[in-house]
Amino acid sequence: MAETEAPARFEEALAELEGIVQRLEKGELALEDSLAVFERGIALVRQLSQRLVEVEQRVELLLKSDAGKLLLRPMPENAD
Amino acid sequence: MLRAGAAARILTVSELAGRVRDTLEGGIGTVWVAGEISNCRPQPSGHLYFTLKDDRAQLAAVMFRSAAQVLAFRPTDGMDVVLHARASLYPQRGALQLYVEAMEPRGRGALQLAFEQLKARLEKEGLFAPDRKRVLPRFPRTIGIVTAPGGAVIHDMRTILQARWPSARVIVRPVRVQGPGAAREIVAGIQDLNRLGGVDVMIVGRGGGTLEDLWAFNEEVVARAIVASVVPVVSAVGHEVDFTIADFVADVRAPTPTAAAALIVPDREEVAASLARAVPTLESALRSRMARARERLGFLRRALGDPERRVAQLGVRIEDLASRSRQALLRRMAWEEREIASLATRLERSGPTPSVRRAAERLDAAAGRLRFALAVRVRHARAGLEQETARLDALSPLACLARGYAIVRHGAAGGPIVRDATALAPGDTIVVGFARGRARAHIDATEE
Repeated sequence: MAETEAPARFEEALAELEGIVQRLEKGELALEDSLAVFERGIALVRQLSQRLVEVEQRVELLLKSDAGKLLLRPMPENAD
Repeated sequence: MLRAGAAARILTVSELAGRVRDTLEGGIGTVWVAGEISNCRPQPSGHLYFTLKDDRAQLAAVMFRSAAQVLAFRPTDGMDVVLHARASLYPQRGALQLYVEAMEPRGRGALQLAFEQLKARLEKEGLFAPDRKRVLPRFPRTIGIVTAPGGAVIHDMRTILQARWPSARVIVRPVRVQGPGAAREIVAGIQDLNRLGGVDVMIVGRGGGTLEDLWAFNEEVVARAIVASVVPVVSAVGHEVDFTIADFVADVRAPTPTAAAALIVPDREEVAASLARAVPTLESALRSRMARARERLGFLRRALGDPERRVAQLGVRIEDLASRSRQALLRRMAWEEREIASLATRLERSGPTPSVRRAAERLDAAAGRLRFALAVRVRHARAGLEQETARLDALSPLACLARGYAIVRHGAAGGPIVRDATALAPGDTIVVGFARGRARAHIDATEE
């Protein structure tokens, strides 16, 4: 199934999902469209849930090189 | 008598002024003096000139840039202050002058005063206005933190961010958060996170401490850097009770650094729960959409009515129409008949005149007589003809044939009659006509 990707931003994807529920509830859609929209909603739920699956948090230190350039370095767990 | 003694030496003005200065500095030296500032004149060079006065006396005072620039607050006219100053002579003018090394506001702390002054000034500029505050992103992907790199504060923030929203990337910009130069480092940190790009929100802050410890967050440069930040800023300085200038200009003030961490990211569990709730909501929305469609279909079906009954109704209607049209046709025919009859009558009335009619009647009678006469005449003629035919019949060659004679003809039935045997040769075909019928024959031989 040609299931398009959810928007890159979680916020936008969630907003899309909310919009879908609202459109379905209003019942302004054609029946075929409402089914397609419903499928899109379910796909969004699945993709968003997937994103919620734990991803190890990346913590980096923003440092400056001698030349003044900004550098990103992984931050050690105990930086004391 | 007027002669200068050995001890009495004539001084130059400079020498005397120098002695007065030495006397003043030696005899009084550096003192603490309290008074009210008036005629305060800050110079572009950074030096500060003013008059210190009480209700009975006044003294000129100068605070050089090196001393004035470390003042947290801004001296203004009418302010009660305590000065640490050296009394001396300003030789060029011959004026007594206080050289101020330190200044403290009287009645409250210098930092407290500085805080109030800066707060009032920035507020007047509109930098605390609620409409300046930006809304934080609901789901930040990259979070910047400007704080001290070590210690419990950053550790706690990281723990909370990890627990609530583990998919966020955290970029820590380490800075000194107290002591000389801390404010400038914080400013640079805010600017660096802006320059890096992709940072959705940043926390600027530190853990608790004394007013002096937190002071960098009350400095104007830090406030201006927060105001200028394109990335929304959450301030998180000290404890719940600590309010800094940074808190007032930030988009959101968090009471503590850990609170800031909890505030800028949603809780994964809650989001997951609301997503889980979205599925039944979606389903019920679709179901109700379907139910509505079904309902409408039912309504339309009822509106259409029962097709059989409708057909029956149509049949009745058609029959009705047929009978009506039949009747109409009959009526029409009757009308036509009447019309023709009436036309015939009218035609008759307007037809030939009676005299012509009489003539026609006479003509008919004449024709009748003529036909009768003709018939009689024909009958007579036919009787005569029969008589003549019988007489003719007795004279006919046919009678001879009846008596036994035959007629021979050359070739075919219509051929010439043969009257002489010499006219025939062996092999010729002849036809012999009898009283009844004919015969075809071939000649074998002829004789004279």
